[in-house]
Amino acid sequence: MNGALKYGLLFIGLLLLQVLILNNILFLGFINPYLYIYFILILPSSVNKDITLLLGFCLGLMVDIFCGSIGCHAFATTLLAYLKPHFQKVFGPREDYETVTPSFRTFGMKEFLQYTIILVFIHQLAYFFAEAFTFTGFFQTLLKAICCAIFTILFIYIIEKLKYKR
Amino acid sequence: MRSLIRFLLKYKTLFFFLFLEILSLVMIVNYNQFQRVHFLSSSNIVVGSLYNLTSKVSNYLSLSSVNQALVEENAELKFQNEKLNFQLDRMRYDTSYVKRNDFAEDKHFIFRTARVVHSFTNMKNNYLTIDKGECDGIQKGMGVINEKGVVGIVCDVSCHFSVVIPILNSRARINAKITGKSNVGTVLWTGHDVRYAKLKEVPQYIPVELGDTVKSSANTAVFPEDVMIGTITEIERLNNDFYLIDVKLSVDFSNIKYVDVIEFRHKDELEQLERKEDSK
Repeated sequence: MNGALKYGLLFIGLLLLQVLILNNILFLGFINPYLYIYFILILPSSVNKDITLLLGFCLGLMVDIFCGSIGCHAFATTLLAYLKPHFQKVFGPREDYETVTPSFRTFGMKEFLQYTIILVFIHQLAYFFAEAFTFTGFFQTLLKAICCAIFTILFIYIIEKLKYKR
Repeated sequence: MRSLIRFLLKYKTLFFFLFLEILSLVMIVNYNQFQRVHFLSSSNIVVGSLYNLTSKVSNYLSLSSVNQALVEENAELKFQNEKLNFQLDRMRYDTSYVKRNDFAEDKHFIFRTARVVHSFTNMKNNYLTIDKGECDGIQKGMGVINEKGVVGIVCDVSCHFSVVIPILNSRARINAKITGKSNVGTVLWTGHDVRYAKLKEVPQYIPVELGDTVKSSANTAVFPEDVMIGTITEIERLNNDFYLIDVKLSVDFSNIKYVDVIEFRHKDELEQLERKEDSK
């Protein structure tokens, strides 16, 4: 119960942080970190896959409602939530797989970064192509996705670093 | 039957995943058709009030730049005031001048100032939410400007909030003309850069130069004539006898706090009259 409460607060906190602050950064006019997906990335593997999917969809839809881009974030985040357990299996520790919570400490720094980079890139590509809804201007969309992904990964890296500073 | 159920249960996560993805795609497509689901838009009361609160905070923080803009506008108004006073003085001597301009007394446009509660500028289809709605007399299709120039057109209204499609939306089409020329073109946005838009449908037989200004035309009765849109920064000749012109927008969309919504008082009358002519 304690865990559920913690993740509930994290859900709301990251959502508000995303829509009220991070969406307004617009570095160089278009680059925003999409930090809210950090919530999906660090969900423990003990959480049921269907629930992970549902959480991903809801989180994406919430961000969508605030951004006026209905469906785009939901699409990308659902994809992320679907792929997350698979990649967790690949990069996570072999033993006690059932209860691991992804982080620098449990995965190891290199593995966690690989896990983050792959998932964030997939999410950003899905989001930007869902938003453009066309392949015209392919390279411009690709560039946007890559820039935002790098920014997002940087933010996640900093947060993980700070978490283990203490 | 039992094996079918077993099959479904085995892949239930996959099916759930596909269901959610299809649901989001349906939402994207429907939303793109402009049939905005009202409770999912930022004119809904929860999202609207939350943005209202945060914009109050950020408005406080940006008071100095707002102040600067007000000072500039004030100076401009003082200048106009001087000019008008001068004209008025002249008219006192020339009474026939006043008579001739009598019809100018009748105001065609009403301006309502609204605060921008939230704006998106990082997407392909951007929106602005403002804190005035139907209850304040705002209707769909009204033009929106600020002190720098044309902002956009109202596309959705609730009682206390409205959503505006700015020029920075790939669906926005705004009639424009180049200063000094009577021909009309269309300003639209192709995405990507928030500072530039394109001007299309200007025929190549008119001379166009870099640095010319682009202003709203009076064709559609949405904007008053001669509201600034931007300046020309690049001209390309297409092989279909039209120009493709890059316009640097005069409005800074990344920092927009207050706008004026324009009501054209005789719009219905004008439309009715034109329709009558058309049907003849």
